[in-house]
Amino acid sequence: MPDITPDTLNLTPDVLIIGGGPAGMSVAIECARAGLVVTLVEQRPRLGGAIFRQPVNGVAPLALAAGPERLKARLFKDFAAQVARIHCVYGALFAGLDADGLAIVEDRQTSRVLPFRPRALVLATGAVEAVLPRPGWTLPGVTTAGGLQVLMKETGRAPQGRVVLAGSGPLLLALAAQLIRLGRPPLAVLEAGDPIRRPGASLALLAHPSLVSEAASYLATIALARVPWHRGAQFERIDPCDQALIVTWRDHKGHLASLAADHVSLHDGLAPNNFGLPAEARGGVKSSAGNPLVIRVGDCREALGAAAAVAGGEATGRNLAAHLLTGGEVIAAEATLARHRSAQHHIARAFAPRRGQELATQLPDDTVICRCEGRTLADLKKLVAESPGLSARELKLNGRFAMGACQGRFCASNAARLLGELSHSADQVPVSALTGQRWPLRPVSIAALAAAVADAPQPGSSTKDDKDIR
Amino acid sequence: MTVIVAGAGIVGSACAYFLGQAGAQVHLLDASAPAAEASGAADGAVSVASKRPGPLMTAALSGIALYRELEESGPLSGLFHRRSTFIVAASEDEQKVLETHATALADAGVVITAIAGDDIPRRFPALSRAASLIIEVQGEGHAIGYQVVHRLIAASGATVHRSTPVTRLVPDRSGTRLAGVETPAGFLGADAVVLATGNGSSALLGLADVLTPRKGQLLITERDPALNAAMPGSIMSGRYLLSKGSQKTASAAPAPAGPARGFGLVIDPLRTGQFLIGGTREDHGNKQETDLSAVSRILADAVALVPDLARLRLLRSFAGARAAVRDGLPLVGRLPGLSNAVVATGFEGDGICLGPVMGRAVARLLLDKEPGLDLAPFAPNRFQSSGDAA
Repeated sequence: MPDITPDTLNLTPDVLIIGGGPAGMSVAIECARAGLVVTLVEQRPRLGGAIFRQPVNGVAPLALAAGPERLKARLFKDFAAQVARIHCVYGALFAGLDADGLAIVEDRQTSRVLPFRPRALVLATGAVEAVLPRPGWTLPGVTTAGGLQVLMKETGRAPQGRVVLAGSGPLLLALAAQLIRLGRPPLAVLEAGDPIRRPGASLALLAHPSLVSEAASYLATIALARVPWHRGAQFERIDPCDQALIVTWRDHKGHLASLAADHVSLHDGLAPNNFGLPAEARGGVKSSAGNPLVIRVGDCREALGAAAAVAGGEATGRNLAAHLLTGGEVIAAEATLARHRSAQHHIARAFAPRRGQELATQLPDDTVICRCEGRTLADLKKLVAESPGLSARELKLNGRFAMGACQGRFCASNAARLLGELSHSADQVPVSALTGQRWPLRPVSIAALAAAVADAPQPGSSTKDDKDIR
Repeated sequence: MTVIVAGAGIVGSACAYFLGQAGAQVHLLDASAPAAEASGAADGAVSVASKRPGPLMTAALSGIALYRELEESGPLSGLFHRRSTFIVAASEDEQKVLETHATALADAGVVITAIAGDDIPRRFPALSRAASLIIEVQGEGHAIGYQVVHRLIAASGATVHRSTPVTRLVPDRSGTRLAGVETPAGFLGADAVVLATGNGSSALLGLADVLTPRKGQLLITERDPALNAAMPGSIMSGRYLLSKGSQKTASAAPAPAGPARGFGLVIDPLRTGQFLIGGTREDHGNKQETDLSAVSRILADAVALVPDLARLRLLRSFAGARAAVRDGLPLVGRLPGLSNAVVATGFEGDGICLGPVMGRAVARLLLDKEPGLDLAPFAPNRFQSSGDAA
């Protein structure tokens, strides 16, 4: 297949890696070491992923805890040693795998669609933040905690004004500590769980000293700055008031409490960023002959954090290289991950919300579920009530959930969960039932797609018919 | 009267609706869920613009009239978006085929207007200067298949059985009637059975040589209300007529090597401010998947005709499989030898346009009423003489 671009970009590398975070970098390092032709596609201008996000030019990087800092240093050193053998495409997004087995990448730097045909496609797209819908969550000034953290990592600065962090999980503590270090402590951290009242889970974490020391450093910073950590807080709503936002919650005794803030950052845990991604090959078997071998690594396979992403990425990278060079079996790095999985399990238990989390009964009916099209819980309930046994696809098509510009990124998991709750289904409704696995995974420039007609390596199944039109 | 309607696409849903209106108790069965196949992946054209004079054109005109009626009388209110279709010629070949086609439409009583010269940019500012002739076909419209299906089912009062494929037709002792159908959930009995099972009909009725899937790929752009407003209706490239063979001409595209794959071009400004762009006609391939080769080709053609589309982004691509009959006409009528069983399938790309009117015809047939449409050209037994079962 010819190289189609002026800069002789190889469209048929051995390995195409999507995502330049810890997992993708680790796979790239191992495959390059083994002598394979590796291309890495990263949507940002720099490597590191969300966890090791590097600041824009001229900004001092935000300090990480000691453990993550060591991990980052080793990863970047190893990558630097192989960088000459890894072709990095920055500012480019994976648009999906098409019916002919092409891995389609939109290069937004050059406004081109790049049709790759690699032997293996490694998906390392990291995690996404789970954010539950709440009354007022779409108001200006409300962000996700992860979004705020990325902004701080890139600019080295905290936002102006009063910040409240709310939701559940250790990321809220990490973010609070970072805000304090930047001189802008949050007003409060509202935590739905109560790790201190779940001593079993918290004690089990003692088996993971690096996590404990990381958590201890955050908690010490928060305690020193006297930032209240309200555990067992049941979030009620966010209301606009003059130029501010009023955050209301019930404390662990059931009493209403509220605070006025300028920014509210929400977070309800992390989930694999596997939105619409092609299915992983099982036991090294490709989905069809013309397709690349599809492998997921890191948080997009299982959200276990950066250390697991590096360990899993290294093991998978070595397996993959052996497979491509000598035909060995590609085995997921299960053994490497067991320890990380146990740690995440204990964290999830420790931060489990004190009250049950049935969304459909807790939320008021006018709560917006789909932000793109403004569809509410009432709309969803009405549709489910009208049509007993409603399928996820019908919910999508007729309710327009997961149909908007975000293509379901923000609402599909919540809509699937609500459908499960409302139809009293014993099985969880899979998010993929709403989102499917079609490309483009993100909106792609029509000009770039239209120009790709001349560029695409001709797949065997298509016909080269007349070009009679203009 | 209890009726089993198998297939909850637009034809089955319409049939369930009209049976329900007449007081029948309807069980609407689907192998997966309502509008899960072609009805949920259609371009939504309620149109006579591309039809050849003959039974399909007659049926399409009745189909459009029924949409207007159902839109006004309630059941489809708000779901039928009236607009013209503009057939655009941008080459000599296309202009030739379009002129012939326009004459045929006018002879059949369709209201058309020819737009040429300076009137083109005035009337249609979004269009490329390459356009040399436009035929405006008036009185048409657009309806989104899955919305129509949802509305008709809700209004039908039918009991919907999802994930319930019909695995076998069960005759009664006389052998001249069906007692009901077999499903994975067991036997279901009824006074009459309607099979509106699209491509699923092939296996059920042994029609593998007669009825085959024909895949189509379709695209949806992001919203652009300004560009949307600059398009007074749907655009159909004159090449669509070549692709579809509505008019046979010597200059039609030569048959490509390998499996057949035709490219037509339709650009429909949706009420959401988005554009629907299609599509392909393919006698092969996985029905669910789309490929860059086709998407890129369709978009290149679309941009050539409406240059400002290049500034938008593609939001979604999807594919569906039309149920296509060998001679291009649907199969509608009583199953040979079974007095209480009716089939209605094989509408290829016309299901959205014809679904309601054919659903009504089938319901009337079961209720021993005049179907309101000459169904003779669509007789399901017309392939029997050549040895194909039906």
